Formats: sequence, C-alpha cells, structure tokens
Amino acid sequence: MIDPLVIADLSRQIEAVLFIASRPVSAAELAASCVADPAVVDQALGRLAEEFADSRHGMELREVSGGFTFVVVRDCETAVEAFAGARRPDDLSPALVETLSVVAYLQPTTRAEVARVRGVSSEWALSSLEERGLVEECGRADAPGSPILYGTSARFLTLFGLRDLTDLPPLEGFAPGADDVEELRERLVAHAERRRQ
Amino acid sequence: MSTLGLHAGELVVDLDVFQGPFDLLVTLVLREEVDLWEVSVSRIIADYVLRLAESHEFDLEATSQFVVLVAALLEMKSRLLLDLETLGEDEEITVEEAGEELLTALVRYQQHRNAGEWLKARWADNAGRIYRRVPLPACFRRAHAGTERLPASLLAAAMAPLLREPPLPDTSHITDVAITLVAELRRLRSLLAHEGGFTFLSVAPRDRLEKAVTFFALLELHNRGEVSLHQARAFADIRVTAVRPEAVLAG
Repeated sequence: MIDPLVIADLSRQIEAVLFIASRPVSAAELAASCVADPAVVDQALGRLAEEFADSRHGMELREVSGGFTFVVVRDCETAVEAFAGARRPDDLSPALVETLSVVAYLQPTTRAEVARVRGVSSEWALSSLEERGLVEECGRADAPGSPILYGTSARFLTLFGLRDLTDLPPLEGFAPGADDVEELRERLVAHAERRRQ
Repeated sequence: MSTLGLHAGELVVDLDVFQGPFDLLVTLVLREEVDLWEVSVSRIIADYVLRLAESHEFDLEATSQFVVLVAALLEMKSRLLLDLETLGEDEEITVEEAGEELLTALVRYQQHRNAGEWLKARWADNAGRIYRRVPLPACFRRAHAGTERLPASLLAAAMAPLLREPPLPDTSHITDVAITLVAELRRLRSLLAHEGGFTFLSVAPRDRLEKAVTFFALLELHNRGEVSLHQARAFADIRVTAVRPEAVLAG
C-alpha cells in the first residue's frame, strides 16, 4: 500500500510536467522525470485523471499518441476556438479514409501495395494524406526500384484519439460476413454469365 | 497531353509517373520499370480521343496501333487486379480461378472499406479535440546530448549508410543520340551542295533527340550565313535554302 500523500505529491509533479510539455509524455518519461517507480506513476496518473474528470476543470487528462496530455473538455471548445481561432481539420473524403485504412493496417507499405488493395492508383490520395500530416515516409522497401515506404504519423494517432497502433481493432473483425461474401460471389458469376452471352 | 501526331510513337503522354512517347511507356511497363498501377489508362485514352477530334484526321493504321497498345496495358492491369503477376505469360487461368482471385481481392478491399468506416467514426469524434499545443519555453529548448558515453562503433554504424555511394540509376531505357552535331552539319552541307535546298521535315530523323540535333545544325548553318531559313507561320515546316558564297560575301 503506497502512502496516499506520496501519490498526491507525484500527481502534482506530473501535472506540472504536462503543463510545460508541448507534446504527449509517456509514462516512462514521467517516471524518469519525477524519479518515481512506474507502478506509482500509474497510480498518480489515475488520481490526476480523476481530478480532471467530470468537467470539474476546463481540461481533462487523456492518453493519446503514445503519452499523456491535457485536452480541452468538449463544452469549453467553443470558447477556446473563438479565442485561438482554432478550426477543426477538414473532413476526409471516402477515398482518403480508405487509403488511410490500408496504410494504417499494412504499414510500412508501398504506394503500389495500396493501389493493389484499392484497385486504383492512390498517388493523389497518399500525397494528400502526407500534406495533412496523417501519413509519412518511413524508409524504402528492399525491393526492385527501392519504393518509398509509408506509415501513419503521430498526428494520425492524435486526430483519431488513439494511444498507439494497437488501439486499431484487428482487421479480421472487419471482414464481410459469409452472406455478404456469397452475395459478392453471386454477383461476379452473374456478371460473367452476362459477358458470355 | 500534347501530340506531334497520332502515331503511338509520336503520341507524347504527360503523366505523374512518366512523360514521353506512349510506345516507350508501354515498353517500360513491360520491363517493369514503370509501375502499371500508377498509369492512368483512362486518362491516356481520353486525351488521345480529344487529340483525334482536334486533328480532324483519322488514320486507321495509327489508331489501330494505339488501340492494340492500350488493350495490352488494360490486359496487364486486369491481371494485376487478380494478383496474377506470378503467372507466366503463356499460362492460362480458368474462369473459376479468376473469379476466386477477384473475390479474394474484393473481400480484402471490403475489409479495408469497413475499417475505413470505423476510422471515419473515430475522426468525427476526435479530430476536433483541442490538445495542449503550446511550444516549450525557449529557455528549455536546449538539446541534451546525454551524459552516457557512446561507443565509436555506434557512430560509425549510424554514419555508414550516409557515406555509402548510392547505386547508379538505370538509364538503359534512354536511347543514345546516334548522330553528332558535326556529322549532321556534314550531312546537311552535302544535301545543300547537291540539291540547293530542302525542308526541315524532309531531312529530320524520326527520333526526337536526333531531330533536335538537326535543328541545332540548321541554326549553326544559318549563324554562319550558309543558309537562309523561311517559315510561313509558327509550327509550319521550315524551308532551308543554300546561300551562294558570293551572296555571303556581299552580305
């Protein structure tokens, strides 16, 4: 049993570090900064999260993009937006979301592989995602022509509210059901029959 | 896209991944030096049809050649869709096998579409959140090199890839210019001596680079006062006429 006063003191130190940090800070970094045991840091983070929960403050603690940071609570966003001129990022088109999904699940991956899955050239979609900072180059494949490899960025994790890539649900869970596959098969057969006639 | 004519060899395509003659594009695709996924066949067709309509001419042979090359590209692309690159060119695939391959590809695509729907919902819920983004105060922005001593071998390993000479790019697909400016000057002078004049298109080779060499040679001859050049209008053929030595002296 850890002394509640120790937890309270550590949570204040963590709050101070997060106040000055310009990016999410991992639990390991917090433990190193506060010279504390990781298990105790976990408890202190829990206490800090409770303190800032239930809209008692204008911000709340959130674990995102590999670390902890403060985020404005939803009912205070309008005031902050008016003050800072912040604007929600433009929505993603279906083609961009689809391309992002392929990169997120197959990363690191090449432009050709993305095109292979989507069945269409994805050059524009990948460039657009790169411009938005959601996808970034992460090396070159050991293949003929050394094509560029793409992966998702830290900004991707932040904007989608993910702690890390393991927060992505398994791709298998998105497989179409047996009925849907059968329907696809029937449509393909019917199309082939029409072509034969 | 712009064209010099409507033959596949003269049709110049301007795509993101390639700019040059259409028949060279097909050759490079066959040699896997240009990724077929990146080639928009529909755009090539649309531009060709547009140019065909603008030219008010219909060359059956040239158009047939174009259709054959486009059909070859489409067939290769449809084989890619079925993920059959491993299949030899002579190997055939049954309709059932092709159907199963296509179904597998569609199911995989549908999986990513569904995952995209999940991402879309996450985006709707999270993209607008406002995180703390204030930069670190300037006084804290000193880079910390770390106190531990790192072995020299680690530094060497980090630097080695930067110092390695990259492999030379493959330029085998670039055609060498078969003629030189000196040789072309000699050829044109000989033609002028025998015929007294000619038109640019009647003496220019088919290859674009070689055509450029011929053009430079003509400019050189004109510069030296050996020929006079006449062009009725922009982009029209150039009439080249030899200038008699006495005329040069008189000039």
